[in-house]
Amino acid sequence: MASTAATRAAAATTKVVKPIFSRDLDEAKRRVRELYRAWYREVPNTVAMFQLDITTRQGRNKVREMFDKNKHVTDPRVIDMLVIKGKMELQETIHVWKQKTHVMRYFHETEEARPTDFLSKFYHGHDP
Amino acid sequence: MAARVLQQCVRSFARPSLRLCSGNLAVRAAAAPTAALHRPLSFAADSRRTRWLGQSRTPSVGVLCRQYGDLPPLTLETIKDRVLYVLKLYDKINPEKLQTTSHFMKDLGLDSLDQVEIIMAMEDEFGFEIPDAEAEKLMTPEEIVQYIADKKDVYE
Repeated sequence: MASTAATRAAAATTKVVKPIFSRDLDEAKRRVRELYRAWYREVPNTVAMFQLDITTRQGRNKVREMFDKNKHVTDPRVIDMLVIKGKMELQETIHVWKQKTHVMRYFHETEEARPTDFLSKFYHGHDP
Repeated sequence: MAARVLQQCVRSFARPSLRLCSGNLAVRAAAAPTAALHRPLSFAADSRRTRWLGQSRTPSVGVLCRQYGDLPPLTLETIKDRVLYVLKLYDKINPEKLQTTSHFMKDLGLDSLDQVEIIMAMEDEFGFEIPDAEAEKLMTPEEIVQYIADKKDVYE
């Protein structure tokens, strides 16, 4: 009786859904690696084409940072969606449909980080 | 990159007889027993250069020695040296802890994306594409050397 309840609960939580591109996590990770390769090879061309004031190494570190932000995701459909968005960004960067400002927007140069600890918030103002 | 270094070493070795056939000389220096088959004369290694320079004006030399452009031939040792050289240049790897059997993820503490970067550096080094399905399995420098030797037909 407890085992049937457990299997029913397990069947309820793991639904079978239609995949976007990849059927399992390995295929999704393969797509991520292909996208990373394409971005890695594209960064020097981007820096030259848009005449950015960053080095190739900084550009590649930024690519790695954007990929590491989503490192924790395990759902293959979410990974596929992120890969699709990354491919769209890559296409826009390769074909120079973006401009320099759009590429430099990844670097958050003029944004100030909001204060996190109590004393910094206190000095900053009355915003809680 | 390391291939260029090796090419320069080969060129500097063959410079005294550069005018004749430097590529052939390098191949001959690498594989001395086969040199005797190529030329009708047989000469010792140290007198090879003087013989070459002595016969620089005869036109038959141009007929007998073909000048091809090619890289020095790959051996397992050279592949291993180049792979370790590229890995030592990678800044996320500690060069003291690197050995041929060190696993990228377990021993050296690298990421899967770091491993992708390493495989891309190997592609740039050896000049041929490594597809991702096989690249994700290469986790130690030894495996990389074996894979390249398989692809380039370097007999073990």
